[in-house]
Amino acid sequence: MTRPWARIKDLDWSLVTSGNVSNWPKRLWAMERYYQWLGGPGGYGVGYGAPAAVGAALANRAEGRFSVSIQSDGDLMYAPGVLWTAARHRIPLLSVMHNNRAYHQEVMHVQRLADRRDRVADLGHDRCPIGTAIENPDPDYAKLAASLGWWSAGPIKDPNELAGALEYAVEVVQAGEPALVDVWTQPR
Amino acid sequence: MRTALYTGLAALAAGLLVAPGAPLAASAENGKQVFMRAGCWQCHGTVGQGGAAGPKLAPDPLPFDALSSFVRTTNRQMPAYRKQVLSDADLADLYAYLKSIPQGPDAKTIPLLNQQ
Repeated sequence: MTRPWARIKDLDWSLVTSGNVSNWPKRLWAMERYYQWLGGPGGYGVGYGAPAAVGAALANRAEGRFSVSIQSDGDLMYAPGVLWTAARHRIPLLSVMHNNRAYHQEVMHVQRLADRRDRVADLGHDRCPIGTAIENPDPDYAKLAASLGWWSAGPIKDPNELAGALEYAVEVVQAGEPALVDVWTQPR
Repeated sequence: MRTALYTGLAALAAGLLVAPGAPLAASAENGKQVFMRAGCWQCHGTVGQGGAAGPKLAPDPLPFDALSSFVRTTNRQMPAYRKQVLSDADLADLYAYLKSIPQGPDAKTIPLLNQQ
């Protein structure tokens, strides 16, 4: 989260959504203007993030602001068609993925209920309890975004590759197009 | 009789030399697998570094008795893990894994974390 911050902090930026990623941007980014955090779904609504980000980026475009979203992977599974909308209407948005390969909001609920019944929640097929992992196969969100008209990079698994990808992605967004950088992360 | 007495004293002395509740013959390697399988990493991170959802566990974990008691009986956000889900042997191995995790670099030496 500090890497995107290092790249955008001197721009007139606006965080349009941050998915369910434990509020890391709000912990680490200096927010001094009202539009630097445009809010969340209000009810843990998975799938809200991507469409909300594109809508907010459309509004920010008129103001000349640089829109950035922290896009979680489970959220993007719900309405990926909005990526096409952003490309079609040339809505500049930097989407940095917090890809933990799971519907992680649900993981501990499953774990808790299994433990109450003295059952093992993880059946060994995936890294997470049944019904919560998004892997095997691993979605390739960079290819998904590219197929819908976005510049994209990833999945980035080596932190040393992140700065370069972000650098180019910011240039794409400043030129008026959407860009997505898929980053594999720790869970929360 | 004397042999039995000496044997008993030796056993008592050995018991006194072992810290109460300390895991014996624990395997850090298996403990890492347990840490992943039991889902600890999902909130505490893959090397116990902690995060927004769970506190840091390593390096320098809590004493074994404190950690064990919490794992077995907590009624806080983290679910309690009873022996049917996480055996005593696996919990001891898990603790050995936490103990094996080395100190990370000082945050002051990482430029990215020291920007204004």
